[in-house]
Amino acid sequence: MTSATSLAAAEETRGATAGRLPRGSRASAFWTLYTLTLRQHAHGRRWLVMGLLFLLPVGLAILVRSTAPDVPAIGLEFVLAHMFVPQALLPIVALLYASGLVEDEQEEQTITYLVSRPIPRWAIYSLKLLATLTTTVMIAAVFTGLTYAAIYIGADARGENVPLRCLTSASIHALALVAYCSLFGLMSLLTRRILVVGVLYTAIVEGLLANLPFGIRLVTVIYYARLITYRTMEFLVPLPRDRTENIAADAWQFDVASDPQLAEHPQLATCVAVLVVGSVVCTMLAAWLCAGREFHVKTPEKD
Amino acid sequence: MPIFDQGYQHWSGALAGHAWRWLAVTRHGVRVGMKGRLLRLVLLVAWLPAIVLVFALCLWGLLERNSDAIATFLPMLRGILNPEMIAGPRDFRVVFWTLGFRFFLQVELWFAMILVLLVGPNLISQDLRYNALPLYFSRPLRRIDYFLGKLGVIVAFVGMVMIVPSIAAYVLGMLFSLDITIVRDTLGLLLAVIAYGLVIAVSAGMLVLALSSLSRNSRYIALLWLGIWFVSGITATVLDEVDRQQRMHEAGQPGSFLRSSEVAAAELEAAKTNWRPLVSYATNLERIGQELLGTDACWERLAQLQPLGQRDVFLSANFGLRYPWYWSAAVLAALLGLSACILKYSIKSLDRLK
Amino acid sequence: MHTQVLDQVAGPAEVTPVVEFHGVSKWYGNVIGLNKLTLRIRPGVTGLLGPNGAGKSTLLQLATGQLRPSQGSVRVLGRTVWNNARLNRSIGLCPEQDAFYEWMTGWEFVLTCVRLSGLGRRDAREAAARTIDAVGMTQHRGRAIRGYSKGMRQRIKLAQALVHEPEVVFLDEPLTGTDPVARRDLSEIIRRLGSEGKSVLVSSHVLHEVESLTPNIVLLNRGRLVAEGHVRQIRDLIDKHPHHIVLVCDDYRRLASRVLAWEDVEGVRVLASEKGLMVETRAPDAFYGRLPALSLEDGLAITAVYSDDDNLEAVFKYLVTK
Repeated sequence: MTSATSLAAAEETRGATAGRLPRGSRASAFWTLYTLTLRQHAHGRRWLVMGLLFLLPVGLAILVRSTAPDVPAIGLEFVLAHMFVPQALLPIVALLYASGLVEDEQEEQTITYLVSRPIPRWAIYSLKLLATLTTTVMIAAVFTGLTYAAIYIGADARGENVPLRCLTSASIHALALVAYCSLFGLMSLLTRRILVVGVLYTAIVEGLLANLPFGIRLVTVIYYARLITYRTMEFLVPLPRDRTENIAADAWQFDVASDPQLAEHPQLATCVAVLVVGSVVCTMLAAWLCAGREFHVKTPEKD
Repeated sequence: MPIFDQGYQHWSGALAGHAWRWLAVTRHGVRVGMKGRLLRLVLLVAWLPAIVLVFALCLWGLLERNSDAIATFLPMLRGILNPEMIAGPRDFRVVFWTLGFRFFLQVELWFAMILVLLVGPNLISQDLRYNALPLYFSRPLRRIDYFLGKLGVIVAFVGMVMIVPSIAAYVLGMLFSLDITIVRDTLGLLLAVIAYGLVIAVSAGMLVLALSSLSRNSRYIALLWLGIWFVSGITATVLDEVDRQQRMHEAGQPGSFLRSSEVAAAELEAAKTNWRPLVSYATNLERIGQELLGTDACWERLAQLQPLGQRDVFLSANFGLRYPWYWSAAVLAALLGLSACILKYSIKSLDRLK
Repeated sequence: MHTQVLDQVAGPAEVTPVVEFHGVSKWYGNVIGLNKLTLRIRPGVTGLLGPNGAGKSTLLQLATGQLRPSQGSVRVLGRTVWNNARLNRSIGLCPEQDAFYEWMTGWEFVLTCVRLSGLGRRDAREAAARTIDAVGMTQHRGRAIRGYSKGMRQRIKLAQALVHEPEVVFLDEPLTGTDPVARRDLSEIIRRLGSEGKSVLVSSHVLHEVESLTPNIVLLNRGRLVAEGHVRQIRDLIDKHPHHIVLVCDDYRRLASRVLAWEDVEGVRVLASEKGLMVETRAPDAFYGRLPALSLEDGLAITAVYSDDDNLEAVFKYLVTK
């Protein structure tokens, strides 16, 4: 019988090598968890949904260019790549991925296999977040490139360095994604209603408060992303009779008439630092919460 | 003394027919849904706009009766309403009631969306996750009973925030009017409101059920639902704005503000063939509501009260959607058909379950 | 019903326990999972028994560091378990839930698990191949787990618990859903683990399964420790309930009259269908001692003697179902 034979053979092999496994290294364990999470993201249908979402601006660009060919490319770029994507798509994608960082494993009851390994809980969270950021940033970068291609191929770029603009956009999106993912990952550990909380945050904080010309927008991710965009790229749309319109300043409520250099707003380095430090703080806080968290799989949770 | 068998006893009574089998599924779904505190809170908050509507309708009823109780509110009403309306409120009864219900239903549409978000994703995805489908289909329950039962859960909750408060507001408004002719004038409005509520319930219900049947993880379904609702709306707005900017640009008009009558008239004309709002799911529902309630005629009636040069500007700001209503009906019908197909292929009966 | 705590027959009293619970309580809101549990589990195979809701899962999750005790301390191999990730290198857990990364093959799953334990690529591959072979899954290791039968899934689950050669292994209902062949194979693996010096704690409520693995048991009920030790010794100590011994004899009625004369016999029940008697006695050893002489008498040849309650089921029934 196969089982008996294999048992006997295994017995011999075990006799030769039993108890001789080396202790192993944490780096190897960490790398395995990182790649495991990447593979999990690739295997679900989430990437498909994400891809479809990110194809929207590409589709819109093609649609607009075919139905309204006179729309300036830079105006289309602003609306799609710097309004639509950061305000609508990035938060949804971050919510889609980061809200289930640990909860998905807990629901699927596979968290047991991670928690019973010699990997600290804070590292489990951090590595899963890192893998999530890798996935989301990569896909966002690819589709940002596709969006720019859809906008600018065959269009009059009016001397703009499109590849540089594309790269800058992708970097800003990546930074915003990192901030959103870190934030939503932390929120997912603080509340079970992460979806509702995340949507309310996106709609009210990032959607409404960020558009108010008051100090309250300093607590929003989108404000810093917009400032970085404004300070690194220009959005001057040509109008008839040799006029131009600064559509970014109008749309984002920057009072360039009285403060052309936006001296009252944080500088570029400050914006980047705020987003990076904020992400790191959120991640550290979440990792700390995870370190003391019990993951109930068979036993009841407190309400 | 006889000793009775305490063991299992087969039910020897008559079994109910198939017509009401779905109700058992609906009842269970509603009971489970009502256990959620957040959902109960949303239901409670969703009734607040109904209180505002009742207040407004009662106020109008008092205005029609020229009641002394209205004296306190007259200064406020004079600031909001046209003097002609205050002078002859009965002539504007239908207009006021129609627009009042219209604004109420616009707010309730958002509450309906939130309720569908809270209840809908779990309906089928949890059955898939915990392999409950064999439990359903091993009973004498057909697939259609299962689908109707699940849809009934959505209809029940949407009805609780759209239809029931509308009926309650209508009855209270009618009572405050103390005029039997109000029934003749506004009964069609009540029927239209109920029909609109049912359209939203069935359309949103089928769509969310179809989404729910696609995944075992209800969080993704909820995000998909949000995506359809918000992202489609934003997409339509983007397309619309780009198109409008294009027209402004061609006409040599800078900026976003249009206040001249010619521009407003041009915008009203362009809106008749503007297909871009069709991309938004919520807008399609609103267009059907607009048609059912007959708000176009009400706005035109109010526009007559404006000075001649301002009528187009008034209409442009308030009219809403102008493209043919059957475009939206076709989009919603197509979504309904797609949802039905997805459900048919996602949920198989017992002999075909893996 | 009173708590019995015994020294284990398996080893001397000074053997270092591998798992220690000191006054451990665990509650979830108003629900008490474990109630002031003090327990020492020594090396070897130990069965963890109890009805549903007894606290077995809670005990295992506390012992593997998944839960933090609300009170008291839990130590494994002399070290505190909670938040001690390094200790997990020496612990293996085969959880009860039927959950996997379904899209992985059996090979990928075991390999991933061993690499999560920190082993390098080559060592991990060797360990995975060895362990998969040990559980009899070499032939099926290339298939996706979603296509496995229940027995295969249990084998792979056990493989991931053993692949990194832990010193202490916790098995939560390892034989659930397995066919007789798989059950035999897996039981053999568990017994061999014990003979190799590993400590194994097997949780189950299938009594004959545990009985086939080990006579050393820990019995829980309603979050409390009810009994701990060798099955036989526990049985002896349950002095409330006399032993039931069945005697099969052609002339069972005359046999009954003879045994009724013995002072330690408390009751006799005739089993006419078996042509035998069930005798209740509080001194089973003395009773057995007198049987041969009785059997030699004319016409009283006893053809079968057995006790249907000198086993785990009887212990369980007496202690838990009061």
